Amino acid sequence: MEETITRNNYSEKEKNDIFNGEFLPHINSMYNFGFRLTLDRDDAKDLVQDTYLKAYRFIESFQKGTNAKAWLFRILKNSFINDYRKKTKEPSKVDYQEVETYYNSEDVNRQITPDLRVESLKDMIGDEISNALNSLDVDFRTVIILCDLEGFKYEEMAKILDIPIGTVRSRLHRARNLLKEKLSEYAKSMGYKNTEL
Amino acid sequence: MTPPNNPFIQADGKKPTCMEMLQVIIDGEATNEQQEYFKNHMDRCLPCFKSYDLDMAIKRLLKTKCCGSDAPTDLVEQIKMQISQNTPS
Repeated sequence: MEETITRNNYSEKEKNDIFNGEFLPHINSMYNFGFRLTLDRDDAKDLVQDTYLKAYRFIESFQKGTNAKAWLFRILKNSFINDYRKKTKEPSKVDYQEVETYYNSEDVNRQITPDLRVESLKDMIGDEISNALNSLDVDFRTVIILCDLEGFKYEEMAKILDIPIGTVRSRLHRARNLLKEKLSEYAKSMGYKNTEL
Repeated sequence: MTPPNNPFIQADGKKPTCMEMLQVIIDGEATNEQQEYFKNHMDRCLPCFKSYDLDMAIKRLLKTKCCGSDAPTDLVEQIKMQISQNTPS
């Protein structure tokens, strides 16, 4: 995906206006994203700080009035992969080729998710959903955060993650099935029986 | 009775699965035509009918339960301070 980067010669005042008016309003979403990726509040703070410093340094490649939130999320995601993830030495747990081949196979029509009912979700008033989300592998977690928490469109997600839209869809589908499996475990532990309608 | 034109069919002609259609609807990516088609489809498809409610409920729960981590109050000040230190005056 080749993109032409236009450099904008902003004055110092324009830079500050963009930073304060277009970048900083997303600080809470950015922090939540950082926290959901690192699962640590101090690491999230460092990651967000680092992202904003980079955003300021490269502000001339940002076109005023365009999608600042997506631009910032992309920087944060790249910082996480390049800086933070390397430090943790955590090997990737998922073979995406395998996952995406699986998704594209006939098996996808099979309903993977165990029975989970809307009624059982109503009792999940504590941290169950948050814990279920946090327990997913980081790449599956990321697509759910971008789509369901932050409301990004598939096209924006594709740009943030540098993957094709088809991969966004398939990863999201798989992520949601995994999330439902987790929620189903919680529901069972809370005493709900699997009941077919 | 199946309507003749399924607006979810892509340029390659592949027929979408129920789950693929449902995802487009849930995520608000569907066109008006696709929404209309899916509404009719859901009347005839019990798995889609059940999944729609569940998927929407999970999406709402995620939004209300997982978005509450506000940034620490001193973070903005720290960022601004770092920028002013790194910017030649």
